[in-house]
Amino acid sequence: MDSKSRNATLIIGLTIAGMICAQAETRKEMHFKVGRHATVSITNQYGPISVRPAVGREVVVTAVLSSDKVEVDQSQRGSRVDIFSHLLANADATSGQVSYEVAVPADASIVLHASSGQLRAEKMRGDVDFEEATGDVDLRDFNGAHVHIKTLDGPVTLTNIQDGYVEVTSMGGDVMMNAVNGPMVQVNSVSGKIMYDGDFGAGGEYVLTSHTGDIEAQAPAYASIDVFARSVTGLVVNDFTLEPEHTPFAIKAGSAFAGTVNKAASKVKLLSFSGKIHLKKR
Amino acid sequence: MTCEQFQELLPEIGGGNRNPEYETHLRSCQECWGLVSDLNAISRQAPLLQASEEPGPQLWNAIESALRDEGLIHSARQQPVLVLKREPRWNLAWMLPAAASVLIVLGVLNYQGKIHSISTESAPALTTQSASVQGPVMAAFSVEDQKFLTAIAFRSPTLRAKYERGLRDVNAYIRDAQQSALSDPNDEEAQRYLMSAYDQKAMLYQMALDRFQ
Repeated sequence: MDSKSRNATLIIGLTIAGMICAQAETRKEMHFKVGRHATVSITNQYGPISVRPAVGREVVVTAVLSSDKVEVDQSQRGSRVDIFSHLLANADATSGQVSYEVAVPADASIVLHASSGQLRAEKMRGDVDFEEATGDVDLRDFNGAHVHIKTLDGPVTLTNIQDGYVEVTSMGGDVMMNAVNGPMVQVNSVSGKIMYDGDFGAGGEYVLTSHTGDIEAQAPAYASIDVFARSVTGLVVNDFTLEPEHTPFAIKAGSAFAGTVNKAASKVKLLSFSGKIHLKKR
Repeated sequence: MTCEQFQELLPEIGGGNRNPEYETHLRSCQECWGLVSDLNAISRQAPLLQASEEPGPQLWNAIESALRDEGLIHSARQQPVLVLKREPRWNLAWMLPAAASVLIVLGVLNYQGKIHSISTESAPALTTQSASVQGPVMAAFSVEDQKFLTAIAFRSPTLRAKYERGLRDVNAYIRDAQQSALSDPNDEEAQRYLMSAYDQKAMLYQMALDRFQ
């Protein structure tokens, strides 16, 4: 067989394979009319879920199923919508994959459970409850929401979360926060790094805790904080000039610091066992 | 209306028979409001339990035995007064979460038993090999952790390694946090730090239960 024939055979083969793949992939669109403050829950073993705000009071779920070894179950009870990727016999991480694009009213609460695949949501006002084993979690442009995220080792990125009640529990994934503030921001990590870049708002409580992961918090000079930081065996570094304050325990130089900056509107606690803690001035 | 009166009438309220007096009390009493919220939550979850696979009689017997051991229920012969007294329907409802918890624990144990019998019956050589390979590794975990990992391995062998690593890390977290808390029992932050460590372990277990239930 000469090279032209071989190329032609290859192209035909690839075309047929592509057609087979295209046929196996199924697109399913579901529409649900909901009231105010609806709840949308999606459980997906494999594949990404992306959530964005919708116009009007309709939830639109577009699911792309990678094969016939997975089904999408749906149910609606009033303003609660449940979507579930149902794996059939012999489904694996490839054939069981479902990609979801979800449009929900901005005030809806979202509950997403996934094993792998990115979870992404943007421009929402409702509460968020994400549980993810290994994939990325990416949230941006939220306002006034309760955000609960649990992850095993997927990285978490939070960007522009205003007036939020944020609670992140991560085993090994890094947690990155950019312009995140609100009455309560709590991050608890075992080995992942915690990075905060923002001004700590005005009047919130920020508790960043890790076991071995480093904690790096960066704030502008105008930040108004009452800060306490301690690493039992790790290094602690502070770039701010702190007004000293009384603590109920002795502060050991190099492993802890405490004090206030400006009017100390927000409480900031940075705690680690062996991770390095660095409070940086921007 | 007193709390006692309100609670006596709970079965009627649960049946949808509400009046303004109930509503006024409900709004003003946090305890009764919490009770009604709990009952509503149980009512919502009950159909899901009903829809699930009916456990065998052995499991129900085990639950009954566990509840008796805990002193939560007593036999009619020992406590005849309980039989004679007219109990409102809702009084039994509070036992549902307790029974569900016992059910989960027994379910895991039962599951573990099944895994063991499957593995010993179908692949004894593999089991021996696995035990010899995993022995030193598994020895680092408590009995509960080992059961937890075995259950995960049965459902998702690929996730087992992740959970095992996570469990090892979180156990180290708890150990270090305990040492910190013990070194200065008056250190409030050290106590909170310990709670954070336990939160991590609770999350790990909860995620597995959510995923594999």
